[in-house]
Amino acid sequence: MAAAEKLLEFQFPARSAYLCTLREKLREVLGPCSPSEELLNCVVLAVSEACVNIIEHAYCEDDTGDIILEIERQDDNIIFRLTDFAHRKTSKEEMKSRPLEEIRPGGLGCHIINEIMDEVQLIECNSDCGNVLQMKKKLEP
Amino acid sequence: MKSKLSAESNYDVLELSGEIDLHYSPQLREMILGSLKNGNSLLINMAEVSYIDSSGIASLVEGFQTAKTANLSYGLLTISSPALEVLTLTRLDRVFTLYDTIEQFQSQL
Repeated sequence: MAAAEKLLEFQFPARSAYLCTLREKLREVLGPCSPSEELLNCVVLAVSEACVNIIEHAYCEDDTGDIILEIERQDDNIIFRLTDFAHRKTSKEEMKSRPLEEIRPGGLGCHIINEIMDEVQLIECNSDCGNVLQMKKKLEP
Repeated sequence: MKSKLSAESNYDVLELSGEIDLHYSPQLREMILGSLKNGNSLLINMAEVSYIDSSGIASLVEGFQTAKTANLSYGLLTISSPALEVLTLTRLDRVFTLYDTIEQFQSQL
């Protein structure tokens, strides 16, 4: 197994106005190594959805802060790590998909992330605040 | 996101373009619900939508539910492939009524 190659570290405010910039960065970095436009669109969507969850559910009400996105490549796998500094801890339960038979607004972000990514896991962190979400996707046609 | 709402004789058409994410979805929600609350059926043209996330989809779902309760027609017209991909992922392509032409929508009013 090859050593992981760091492709990006990008820190930005956890606010919806920055999601567009985040997607531009993702396209810039992943475009050259993505085998298709469809796969690139899906990966960009999943990472952006994970950031939406951080903005809406981790940082909430008066709590504001930054998000750090790190992207690494290991062989054909791309690893995405999102770190936030929110006071609220995200639980593994919250990362589960909801039943799609319920036709109601909201709660689809986790389903989209879980459908697109090969692995999604919350990494245990020792600090009192903040969450680390790691997602992995194999870039194959 | 850019949007344009126009009134026809017995329905409204909302034309959307660009990227719809958490930053713009409250505005989308307001436009959809505003149109429906005026008692108008609504057709949303999504041909030029280059990106939509779950918050944008949530606004479309809320419109769908509001229209159903008010017994109004509500549909999506000529959906772009990035938007259709998200609807398919969330299986909402089976829930919304999708139209290829305005005439198809008009015929069921």
